Amino acid sequence: MAKLGMRRHDAAAHRAHRVLRVVGGLLALGWWSTGQAAGPPRQTPNAKIAWHGTWTGGLAAAQRMGKPIMLVSAAPQCHSVPGVW
Amino acid sequence: MDRSFLSDKDVIAASRNFVCIRLATYENAEENRVLSGIFAPGGNLQNTVFALLAPNGTTPLVRAGRSPVWAFGGVRGPGINAQPAESIKRMAETMQSIALRYPGKGPGATGALPYLADLRLALNVAAADRQPLVVVYAPDRAQRRRMERELSKVVWSEPLVGQAQYVAAHTAGEFKAVRGFETRSGFIVIQPGIFGLSGQVIHAIDADSKAPELRDMLAGALGRHVPSQLTYNQHRQAGVRAGARWQSRTPNTDRGGPRRGGPRGRRRRPRR
Repeated sequence: MAKLGMRRHDAAAHRAHRVLRVVGGLLALGWWSTGQAAGPPRQTPNAKIAWHGTWTGGLAAAQRMGKPIMLVSAAPQCHSVPGVW
Repeated sequence: MDRSFLSDKDVIAASRNFVCIRLATYENAEENRVLSGIFAPGGNLQNTVFALLAPNGTTPLVRAGRSPVWAFGGVRGPGINAQPAESIKRMAETMQSIALRYPGKGPGATGALPYLADLRLALNVAAADRQPLVVVYAPDRAQRRRMERELSKVVWSEPLVGQAQYVAAHTAGEFKAVRGFETRSGFIVIQPGIFGLSGQVIHAIDADSKAPELRDMLAGALGRHVPSQLTYNQHRQAGVRAGARWQSRTPNTDRGGPRRGGPRGRRRRPRR
């Protein structure tokens, strides 16, 4: 009788342990997916804007991905001296 | 270029949800036409243009102008590199809001490479950005395509995103202004000269490199680039002394810009 009671106790403990593992796993998954989906992307300290260098290449990418465009244009020279915006 | 807007960390973070296109004004007639359709007061294409556009490339989402100042407020003329924090914040928040309206169709990576038009222009742009230049060089088109496939897997993610300029080349003759180039296909990492009229090979990476090793080797080579430390005025004065001159491919139609063959006006930084 005592043995049977012990077995029941073990089974209940085992079930509780399994439930805890599943709940813990779901919580961890939720935390992980939130971390992946939300918030700005992590940046390196010297993060810079990544520019497409031609209109045709950039426009094709925007249309393919359905993303908005930030367009900047400038002559890469000042008073004919190159190497500066 | 207005550094304070475009180098702000929140604007940069927001830019990752945009396709960012930076053109060289007066270098391509077709691009001039596009820019003129976006912002050209009096029909004159200005030296600088700024716009946020819908993915169709034609619908403006904010007021277009010479710089972000025209849309978000701030300082024009002298002092443009010290914009008010609230203007920069407004730009970042506006971009975040626009990104929610255009979430895109897929993951962040674009697949396409952010190429410049040609090596001559790419050297100049890389110098102006104070960044290294990566040339995808292979005379054989099929090999170049294979190289581009591998590069496109790593170019839009850390640690490479935004850290270099890129251009394709298919003839050795295109490298005539580049020292240290050996005629062999590969990913050629170049330190542009201060004025972007020449370059020096920093490293050449094997053309058959696969994405993971290519990423690591590129990151290492880009880290060897030494950016110019000259201020804007020092750069311009040094350029004049050195006789460094750039001839745009199409006429400069900005009334505030230099007049080719005309009287030499007062030298000042162009208006933004």
